[in-house]
Amino acid sequence: MRLTIFDLENWKEIGATLMRNKTRTFLTGFGIFWGVAMLALLTGGARGGGDMLRRNFAGFATNTAGIIPSNTTMPYKGYQKGRWWQMNLSDVEAIQTAFPELEAVVPTSQRGGQSFRRGKFSYSGQLAGVTADYTKILQPRLYEGRFINEADIQNERKVAVIGKKVAGQLFPDGSSPIGKLVEVGGAPYAVVGVAGDVSEISINGRVDEGVFIPSSTFRRIFGYGDKIDFLMITGKANANLAEILPKIQTQLCRRHDINPSDKGAIWTINIAEQFEQIDKVFLGIDLLAWFIGLSTLIAGVIGIGNIMWVIVKERTQEIGIRRAIGAKPSDIIVQVLSEGIALTLLFGLAGVTFATIILAVMQATTNPADAVSVAHFQMSFKGAVLILSIFVLMGTLAGIIPSLKAMHIKPIEAINSK
Amino acid sequence: MNEIIRLRDVNKTYDGAVPLHVLRGIDMSVEKGELVSIMGASGSGKSTLLNILGILDNYDSGEYFLDGTLIKNLSENKAAEYRNKLIGFVFQSFNLINYKNAVENVALPLFYQGISRKKRNALAMEQLERMGLADRAHHLPGELSGGQKQRVAIARAMITDPALILADEPTGALDSQTSKDVMKIFRQLNEEEGKTIVIVTHDPGVAAQTNRLIRISDGVIAPDSPGTPEIPQLVISQ
Repeated sequence: MRLTIFDLENWKEIGATLMRNKTRTFLTGFGIFWGVAMLALLTGGARGGGDMLRRNFAGFATNTAGIIPSNTTMPYKGYQKGRWWQMNLSDVEAIQTAFPELEAVVPTSQRGGQSFRRGKFSYSGQLAGVTADYTKILQPRLYEGRFINEADIQNERKVAVIGKKVAGQLFPDGSSPIGKLVEVGGAPYAVVGVAGDVSEISINGRVDEGVFIPSSTFRRIFGYGDKIDFLMITGKANANLAEILPKIQTQLCRRHDINPSDKGAIWTINIAEQFEQIDKVFLGIDLLAWFIGLSTLIAGVIGIGNIMWVIVKERTQEIGIRRAIGAKPSDIIVQVLSEGIALTLLFGLAGVTFATIILAVMQATTNPADAVSVAHFQMSFKGAVLILSIFVLMGTLAGIIPSLKAMHIKPIEAINSK
Repeated sequence: MNEIIRLRDVNKTYDGAVPLHVLRGIDMSVEKGELVSIMGASGSGKSTLLNILGILDNYDSGEYFLDGTLIKNLSENKAAEYRNKLIGFVFQSFNLINYKNAVENVALPLFYQGISRKKRNALAMEQLERMGLADRAHHLPGELSGGQKQRVAIARAMITDPALILADEPTGALDSQTSKDVMKIFRQLNEEEGKTIVIVTHDPGVAAQTNRLIRISDGVIAPDSPGTPEIPQLVISQ
């Protein structure tokens, strides 16, 4: 038997048949085109949409918790209730030593309503004293220069990283603030960086609108000694903060003579738990996309199968004629199969191309030049090949079944069928 | 061995609620180069006989030799091969493929022989020229008259140079003048090229133009029209 599927003559015949039946080819093709395009758009769109949502939390270490001291609510070891206490730098070291599964332990102090001046320009905002580890919790976006580093802290340098908006107010001519002096609380600081928010997430005020100075400098200026306002911790990838936080509380109670059962003296905010909720939302979105995708796929396959079925049925007489003049069953099957493959591949590829163009437009419009992370309105090459393969397979299978049935009726009955 | 068709006691029953014994022991033969017509009333079994002759249908018992080959219980592939190489069909309703133009329709049997498009279209053009349809070669069947369609169908039947041309009511859908033209073509093919042609018809005018008439009624060959050629007719046809 000659292998008609590899025969150029066969493909010329298929091409001629598809070209001659333009309406049928177009209608079938459009069904395939639309099914493939919808599925591809959905796949790419879900990914891009997810990316866009995640972008809101970009730059933030989600496995993070905050620890904030408050007045005691229980008497303990001779202390009255209502005592004010504060964490100090030795607590930071103790926690770091006791919990190696923490990525960073960041003491933070801040004062709102500080005035930042440069000549006649001024801006009022929040001043924060931070360590270099701060970036491990919230990665600020650096427009210029650098963030506070370890050397700044060691040497209690009078340097500042100013927010983008602050820079805009103090340097309205648009000149670079780096190396210039700004007054913070009356004292001059050298600007080493301009920073901004990466996403919608911020800790106690937006980066854009505040000024960061070394935590050591901050403590000296405001007379904090070794005291700190609050502590932020972030865990390594598999650290469970929900387990670690109570242990830290116990440790702090011991170190500061607080009643171990005093729940009001130490506030903790476990951001990781809130992000778990958000992750569930993402999971829901993914599942929905999968469900709709699967439904689209099934609907598309049924559609193509239906069209192929009708086409073969409609051509029963033609098949009969072809058999009368010498077409073998394999010739007919190969013909239906090749037409199905040619149609599905051609219009399927068109569908993928169309979806790719739409996705590219979406990608371009949702990713401004200064976007912090790219929302990938894309689908993988593998995904596209998979979608096409499923359509080709199902489309041709749907065509084979009726053509096999057509083989079972006698040629003369096929010819006489209307 | 000049018999193209040889039938011995061929029986055919259609199964159904009431089984229909359509052919009740057909004995007939057709010699090479004959122009034969088969006539019979509606329901006489003449169409069934033609379908069996054309390997479009099978029979229950008996023997059918086509060009010396026993045609019985063939695989669909073998049947297709014999139909392609040994038989050319002409149908009442033309049975052209409506989205293919005349030359493509004529060339189609050669496609199933694996002949290249160029070569088969050239051969098809030759056949159309013989039918006087060269100027209609690139017309679709819908753009042709009934007579032209039937001539395209005859060209298609001729293109594989088959041993046997089978025509089923070839003039049934044509007016009288066109019918005459078509019959003239059959006569020419028979006389000039020695083609063996079997025509099923209910039209006595058509039957009269053939060299031998086989009458079929109630599933058997009528006694007054022997299924085997008589000596004088054989002489005439040669």
